[in-house]
Amino acid sequence: MRIVRYNYPNYRRFVPSAGLFDRSPWTGLETEIDRLVQTALTGVATLTGSQVPVDVFEDQANTYVRAELPGVAREAVNVEVVDGVLNLTAARKQQNDGQEESTSFSRSITLSDDVQPEKIGAAYENGVLTVTLPKREVATPKKVTVEVR
Amino acid sequence: MSLFSNVIPSFGRSNACDANGGAADLGATVKPAFRTSETAEAYGLTVYLPGVTKENLEITGENDQIRIIGRRAFKQPEGWTSLHRETADATFELVLDHTGGVDVEKIQAQLQDGVLQLTLPKAEALKPRKIAVS
Repeated sequence: MRIVRYNYPNYRRFVPSAGLFDRSPWTGLETEIDRLVQTALTGVATLTGSQVPVDVFEDQANTYVRAELPGVAREAVNVEVVDGVLNLTAARKQQNDGQEESTSFSRSITLSDDVQPEKIGAAYENGVLTVTLPKREVATPKKVTVEVR
Repeated sequence: MSLFSNVIPSFGRSNACDANGGAADLGATVKPAFRTSETAEAYGLTVYLPGVTKENLEITGENDQIRIIGRRAFKQPEGWTSLHRETADATFELVLDHTGGVDVEKIQAQLQDGVLQLTLPKAEALKPRKIAVS
């Protein structure tokens, strides 16, 4: 008996939206087409394993970014905000038949202007990294009444 | 079917996201990324199941098949609007046929940080053995 490894293409649903942190709505489609062309040319789908699926949510107070990074040690995860761009990098070391293999992940997400970078929090649980980005409090517009003489 | 799958590889492969699911009660399922390895004594299986906890994980071995089902623990809280989704809420399902080559009683499994490590000891009949000449 042999265990034969099948590499299946990893289809993901992309929901392009114009309001997503200034990222072009076509980026997801372009990536997917690149991958499909590569599959058609080589005949084998390569599951690169260093792609990081990311979800972005928001509520009244915060924006949340969830990234799937299984098997990474907490110390090996780096979350940085540079110039309004959130960079997630992580490295994973694995023992495969006595040989150590390391994979590195990285993903950058452009943030909208209303994020306060000083108060960002991150938690890593069960292979999922959740980054919480508090929004700037919106100052209530002051109403000034002017008397016309 | 197997003849054609050699000629045009994509025909032999099914979609990663199977709309009907393996079992009727799972709904849509997604096949997780995994890798296999082999030593003289056992097979090793590493399955990447981000977001799955021990309570949501089910591993069964029956009919010469090993089936791993992982439900994602994440439920989108009320009040969160999703701006961009690349992950699915679909359950992970991985079915591997081993045709009797694995001793199902002795399988060991560990789940940590979303990575499931399985050690599948080879069945006694398949281990290499020396035959003495009389």
